[in-house]
Amino acid sequence: MPMQDLIRLLKDGKSRSVGMIAAELGMSVEQVQRDIEFLEQNGIIRRIEFSMCGDCSGCSGSSSGEDRKTCPGCTPEGGFKNMGVMWEIV
Amino acid sequence: MTDKNEIVIALLGQPNSGKSTLFNALTGLRQHVGNWPGKTVEKKEGSFVYNDRKYLAADLPGTYSLSANSDEEIITRDYIASGKADVVCILADSSQLERSLYMLSDFAGIDVPCFLVLNMDDVAREQGKEIRVSDIEDRLGIPVVLFSATDRKGYDKFYAALEKAVENKPLLNSDALEAKYGQIPEYVSIRSIIGDISDNSKSSMWLAAKAVEGDAPVVSRIRTLLSDDKAAEFDEAVKNIDKGIVKTGECKFAWIDELISGSVNKSKKTVELGKFDRLITHRIWGKAVVVITILLGLLASFIPALPFMGLGSAVGMLPDPLNEMMINAGCPAFIAAIVCDVLIRCLGFVIQMLGFVFGVTFVFGLLEEIGVMARISYVFDNTMAKFGLQGKSVMPFLISFGCTMGGAAGTRVIDNWGQKVLTIALSWAIPCGAAWAVVPMLSTLFFGAWTPVIIAVILIVMILHMWLTAKIFGGSLVKPENRCGMIMELPPYHKPKWGALMRYVFGRTKDTFIRSLKVVLIVAFVFWLLSYTSSGDASNTVLFKVGQAIEPVTMIFGMKWQTFTAFVASSLGKEGALGVLSTIFSGTGTLSVGMMAGGEQAANLNELLLANITKPEALAFIFAITFNMPCIVALAATYQETHSVKWTSIIGLYYTFTALVLSGIAYHIGLLIW
Repeated sequence: MPMQDLIRLLKDGKSRSVGMIAAELGMSVEQVQRDIEFLEQNGIIRRIEFSMCGDCSGCSGSSSGEDRKTCPGCTPEGGFKNMGVMWEIV
Repeated sequence: MTDKNEIVIALLGQPNSGKSTLFNALTGLRQHVGNWPGKTVEKKEGSFVYNDRKYLAADLPGTYSLSANSDEEIITRDYIASGKADVVCILADSSQLERSLYMLSDFAGIDVPCFLVLNMDDVAREQGKEIRVSDIEDRLGIPVVLFSATDRKGYDKFYAALEKAVENKPLLNSDALEAKYGQIPEYVSIRSIIGDISDNSKSSMWLAAKAVEGDAPVVSRIRTLLSDDKAAEFDEAVKNIDKGIVKTGECKFAWIDELISGSVNKSKKTVELGKFDRLITHRIWGKAVVVITILLGLLASFIPALPFMGLGSAVGMLPDPLNEMMINAGCPAFIAAIVCDVLIRCLGFVIQMLGFVFGVTFVFGLLEEIGVMARISYVFDNTMAKFGLQGKSVMPFLISFGCTMGGAAGTRVIDNWGQKVLTIALSWAIPCGAAWAVVPMLSTLFFGAWTPVIIAVILIVMILHMWLTAKIFGGSLVKPENRCGMIMELPPYHKPKWGALMRYVFGRTKDTFIRSLKVVLIVAFVFWLLSYTSSGDASNTVLFKVGQAIEPVTMIFGMKWQTFTAFVASSLGKEGALGVLSTIFSGTGTLSVGMMAGGEQAANLNELLLANITKPEALAFIFAITFNMPCIVALAATYQETHSVKWTSIIGLYYTFTALVLSGIAYHIGLLIW
């Protein structure tokens, strides 16, 4: 039962890449990605969204109040985009 | 069939299955958009004629599945099951069948004529996949089309399948799926309770599977269809199901895998980790490689700093000649002193610092852009575990290299309060953007080519500091069982978007320039007032007297009273230290003249600093300000995130104390070296 194995695997507190999970469960990377999508869509795991700079008052971008989620003083426009994706169990 | 004799075809597919492309190609401009009755979900319909037959195409909302997770999904499945559509066209992405056939598997059990479109066959072919349509057709019992909705020449196949489906009204064969469901005990018991009931076109198999999934609308609908005692039995059975959606989901995926096994030939392409990925995921060398990468990155970031250093020290040369000029021109000495000692010297300092901000932001922005930063955070994930922290604490830490306030705000993703406080406490140990500007600048000034070594030592001390801090506070803040596992997906490497990167770098440099100049000017002006005397003899000022009185104590930590004052000012913001240095050690009313060898007036501030601060003292000072509290605003941000006066003050005091201890250690080590 691959998805239940995946959920069980995450209970030990370690973090794994998609490739590591595939290797540990003897699945293909595509299958793991499919399971992740399924679990995310059904609210069993969630994608971690990082709000970068909350309401830091020290940066010009956020003090002018336009877009509080990212400010040019702390992060590139639109936040860090190439940090990969992380999921956790809800 | 509509009243206008149109055959209704419903397009069903996940987002990105190419549904809209197909819809637009079929209907062209003959489209109209409305809303589904009672909902704000968009309803798109369009008409077309083929072989003298009129069709009405309904573009259903693109959803992942037919569960009850959203209004769109409920509308979609109820519409399909209502029989309003004569035939349902189910779309899937040929290039990733194992994923995109999920819609088909979730549809299985709704007995409405249908056919399957495997879209984007061009992409699948590029991937070396060869799909045998006839095999899949045999297994499903419905027409299957393999084509690409973007290729207008391939539509004959589509129309042929459509006509076949309209004529023969084929139903999807779901026996194999039901056999899989039969292995779930919960399914078996529900199926035996509900018997052969059905709801519109929703078969008892479909209803039972949804009940196992805990689908609320289906559960309440089934209850109305059952007799009272059966309904009670049904409620009891549904109540005891845990994670039913995962169980049926596994069946659906197993069914998909069986369906495509043997009918899809994949040219074997084993995905291998790239060279760098293999290096950094190495159990022993991984961390070393990452630390070296960071170090090289920092070193590289000093290169663009050199011209700024030159420009800054050139500006720093101006005050003396300018002061003379202003006084000769009849300007009051007081004004001339403010302009020269405070304004221009500070400007010079800040410009020298800017180069490092520019360089560090550029290099680390670049590492992020190309995907290296993600790998760095990945490598340190298990180190996080040793600190008792979540893997996601890595992100606040990385942000803290830029701004501790951002890091503190970033801890909002951590739900566990203890882990959140610990993450903030540890993020203070990470030198922020301002420190990465002030510290390399001072290091370059005092230690020249040895700067990389100093930076490396700072990084090592940072890690030890975090480790020790986690040991001290971890016990009372986090329990190991609070940590839960995570899945991380590394981004692919790609070319940087130079435009966005440069805008970020310049934006941040400008931001830091404004912020730093403010802090430095305010601090400098206050200290200049405290040390200004019209006679030029500063030894009578209160600042000087207090300073000399505390110096025996501050020397324990390797700081003379001047550098100690700068250390205190650095609590306001690391740049504050520069404000103090620029006034105390310079100017017409200088405190340093008397101390200088030979009493000779130095031409610029850099030389003054070198003459007045010994190397061990400089080292002590650098460590003191690096590991001091990041800034006063970070203290406020810490309170804002932790809502705890107790922990905010503990963290604040702890960092002031450890900064002094580190400074003392650095001083004594420095004394041994020089």
